[in-house]
Amino acid sequence: MHRADGVTAAAFAALGAYLVASGGGFPAGAGGLPGAGFFPQTIGALMVVLALGLLFKARQRGGTAGFAFANATQTAGAAGMLLVYLALWGTGFFPLRTVLFLTLLLKFLGQRWRSAAGAALVLTTLATAAFQYGLNVSLE
Amino acid sequence: MGAELLAGLTAVLDWEVLGFLTAGVTLGAIFGALPGLTATMGVAVLTPLTFWVSAEQGLAMLLGIYCGAIPAGGIPAILINVPGTPASIATSWDGYALARQGRAGLALGINALLSAVGQLTSILFLALLAFPIAGFALKFGPAEYFGLALFGISLMAGISKGRVLKGLLAGTLGLALALVGLDPMTAYPRYTFGMSEFLDGISFVPVMIGLFGLAEVFVQISERHSIRELPVKALGRILPRRDEWKKMLPSMLSGAGLGTIVGAIPASGGDIGSVIAWEQARRISPDKEEFGKGSLRGLAASCAACNGAIGGAMTTMLTLGIPGDAVSAILIGALLIHGIQPGPLLFQNNRAFVFSIVFLLVFASLLIMLIGLVGARPLAGILRIPSPWLWAGIVLFGTVGAYALNNAVVDIWVMFAAGIAGFFFRKAQIPLGSLVLGLILGPMMEANLRRALIIGRGDWSGIPTRPIVLFFLIAAVLLPVLPWIRSKLFKRGE
Repeated sequence: MHRADGVTAAAFAALGAYLVASGGGFPAGAGGLPGAGFFPQTIGALMVVLALGLLFKARQRGGTAGFAFANATQTAGAAGMLLVYLALWGTGFFPLRTVLFLTLLLKFLGQRWRSAAGAALVLTTLATAAFQYGLNVSLE
Repeated sequence: MGAELLAGLTAVLDWEVLGFLTAGVTLGAIFGALPGLTATMGVAVLTPLTFWVSAEQGLAMLLGIYCGAIPAGGIPAILINVPGTPASIATSWDGYALARQGRAGLALGINALLSAVGQLTSILFLALLAFPIAGFALKFGPAEYFGLALFGISLMAGISKGRVLKGLLAGTLGLALALVGLDPMTAYPRYTFGMSEFLDGISFVPVMIGLFGLAEVFVQISERHSIRELPVKALGRILPRRDEWKKMLPSMLSGAGLGTIVGAIPASGGDIGSVIAWEQARRISPDKEEFGKGSLRGLAASCAACNGAIGGAMTTMLTLGIPGDAVSAILIGALLIHGIQPGPLLFQNNRAFVFSIVFLLVFASLLIMLIGLVGARPLAGILRIPSPWLWAGIVLFGTVGAYALNNAVVDIWVMFAAGIAGFFFRKAQIPLGSLVLGLILGPMMEANLRRALIIGRGDWSGIPTRPIVLFFLIAAVLLPVLPWIRSKLFKRGE
């Protein structure tokens, strides 16, 4: 089975089944009209059918091809650093926090310390100038 | 009509609006010229910057980015054989060959000039046909809108080459995401998980920033592109000679026309249009063997077509409220934030604004032509910016932009989730455009179906008996299965 398609199909089938099940809990419509659960259930059922179709095709395709992650460590690392940065959102010191995050991110992506810090400083200044001072958005 | 035309022009001839347009075109040129940064990404990431200004100013900037990025995408396609945007794929086939022959300047000049020709042709199409189309669409009732929305989603899946099932699945996921919030008829909260922030539904802009900005950064980090070598040192002559113009004329016209028509089809943008136009120009050209080896005709067709798609996509978006491509999907979101609902009623209630859009597009295409002709060298120079700097910029501006929309932390988490999901979708080859279309058309589809049923007192059989609805329903069913039927027929023929 084509593993990537198989995993995709399974994920969509699970989401579709959830929509069908949860849609049943919404109020029914009156006078023969569809209620709030009609669309979720219809979309969920359609999703399950399509996912089963994809699963069938994945079995037909054969092979064991999965997702191609050539640079998984760097991608996951960058996503993890962003996650930490977002988790600290609203704790104050936006410029300092952002310069630190971008410097570490750029260093992690292979830049030298000096150029990483320089680029981080420029980008943070631009974002702060555009949003905080230009558009009056509070970034703290 | 004359007074509204004048009002539209006056609104655009405001120095602030023109300033936003110039900023947008310049930013668009930078986004387009840098491989990996697309027009979609530019519009998605920079949309939040426009929330604090008037609709005209905001739209000036976003249309500027759109019109600036597509032609600028041809610059790296010509100089380093890497299309700056997906729409410039066909431009690289002949443009890069011309650059290797020492005619990079000419290729860049043709790209700038014929991009403007393509854009202006499609804007003429918009100006001439949008009002009749909108007038026809005014006859639509809820049932017709339901059919149109269904047709739009199925069309998207139908053209997802070889990925019909995945296209449909992505469309249903978009529809599912559109369910979040209050039920349009009964106001019953659905999938809000007790969070008041989700009562109005999932914010469209953070989802777009995540799907097209953050996800793209993750994909590029995972694939680690390194393409910063500029093999072309001297650009040479930029303007084509009279005989070259004569040679390019038929390809240019067919390219502009085909690009406009393809762009007007929901979900098929300049990338498809330029390839079709290039192939068509090759078919009718007396020097077929030159194509792909530096043909001026090939370059003319692709440049005019990928830019012609802009006006085509805008026509569909403005008249029917259906996005012609991913950029126009984001533009719909931006217009809604400014309280403007694209669709036929816009042509009835706010004609001056429609004319403003037409004039903005005209000015933007002339401005990017000028930038393309005189600024090719500095734009080529920005290709030397290291990719990680660009990634860091996208991440930062995307995050701050998503937050700035409502000053809500939940929006940056929506962006992050969309970014991670978009990354996996890209890896699984799931077309993101179908998802966006589902997200936009979902509320329209559900509300109009239920309205039609209320009008018909719950009678389902009344819906498909209306001719326009029947047409849309048949087309919606046929389109996804057409590739399968065609493959079966070809097999039998062999």
